[in-house]
Amino acid sequence: MGSSASKGAKITAHDRAILDLKVQRDKLKQYNKRLDTVIVKEHTLAKAHLAKGEKKRALLALRRKKFQEGLLEKTLLQMTNLDELTFSIEQALVEKQVFEGLAAGNQVLKELHKEMSLSDVEKLMDETAESIAYQNEIDEILSMRLSVAEEEDIERELDELAAEKTRTMLPDVPQASDQERNAAILEAARDQEQGDQGAPENVVSKKTHIGNQRMRNEAMLA
Amino acid sequence: MSQAASNAALGLSQSPALASGFQFPSIHNFPPFYTLQPTASTWNNQADLWGTIIMRYYRHHRLYQLDLDDSLTNEQLFNNQRINRKLKPEAIQAIVDEMVKKGDAEWDATSQKRRAIIYWRKPEDWAAMISSWVFESGLNNSILTYYEIAHGENSEDQEFYNIHATVLQKTMDVLVKRGVAATFQGANFEEMGVKFFNAGA
Repeated sequence: MGSSASKGAKITAHDRAILDLKVQRDKLKQYNKRLDTVIVKEHTLAKAHLAKGEKKRALLALRRKKFQEGLLEKTLLQMTNLDELTFSIEQALVEKQVFEGLAAGNQVLKELHKEMSLSDVEKLMDETAESIAYQNEIDEILSMRLSVAEEEDIERELDELAAEKTRTMLPDVPQASDQERNAAILEAARDQEQGDQGAPENVVSKKTHIGNQRMRNEAMLA
Repeated sequence: MSQAASNAALGLSQSPALASGFQFPSIHNFPPFYTLQPTASTWNNQADLWGTIIMRYYRHHRLYQLDLDDSLTNEQLFNNQRINRKLKPEAIQAIVDEMVKKGDAEWDATSQKRRAIIYWRKPEDWAAMISSWVFESGLNNSILTYYEIAHGENSEDQEFYNIHATVLQKTMDVLVKRGVAATFQGANFEEMGVKFFNAGA
């Protein structure tokens, strides 16, 4: 299968060495467990012998316990050594990866540098500065050409555009017949008269103005 | 409430708990439950219920291997002294056969149907659990022994602590197939190892 082919490629001799170390450590761990239980057993045995008054046997058990404790200490030390070695190897592998990463990065940087020589960059920067200066000059000339009058024209155009915009934004005024409109105006005038005495002429003039307008419109239509 | 009701309908309502805290469902005290039922539909139901009880019992006690010759482990499971009924080995075999069909168990090929692994959790689930543990402990790209995964200090608080060797192997097979790990061949369980790749995330 494909997975077994890639399996061979992905596991290196280093990996195997680390595994062997870890396997050794596991074996020591198991051995320690065994020693632990034996030590506990010898201890209880010694106690039991002592309770029965068999001092010699108790002593023997304690001596065995002492011996096994020595063994345990030794294996613990060995285990620490194995662990340290494993950690060192793993650390070295990480360092190697870091080195490879740095080397690859350096290579890329070099290649990029090759693509842009210092003189090219200087030339490019000079040309860019020239272009910017040229552009500034164009800007200056163009802004100088606009006289005060032209500026005013532009302002006016802007105002017109703005006015047009607000006009289109206003809602449609409903169409009312002239009669209705006049009645409404009269009513409004009356209302105003009650509140404020000074304005009737105004309304009347407005009314005649509207009338005149109407006549003029009719004349134009005829 | 509805859970209890549906359990009762299935015959899975609880009976007094064992010392281990496990509670057998009430059907465990039903004498005909210990005799293979001749009617196909009844037998199917019976095998289903036994399968469920075995899975729950094994999950509760973190057992992995059902051994027909080991009467001690399954003493309480198949031998109900309260009603003086016992499930015969042939009956257990027939039930495990049904479990194998559903993928809940697997016979040990060398045991001639005497030993079976009970999958109360599927190898795929174990695989997900172990790979997230590897990722969270920063163990990607490092080499671990099988012993370390199953019995190491780092996995002591994990659910897969003390996982059965066969189940672990099946789990690793899943991870290898997915391309997130590669296994080392070793002479025995203690010498087996695995390397997790970065893709394990």
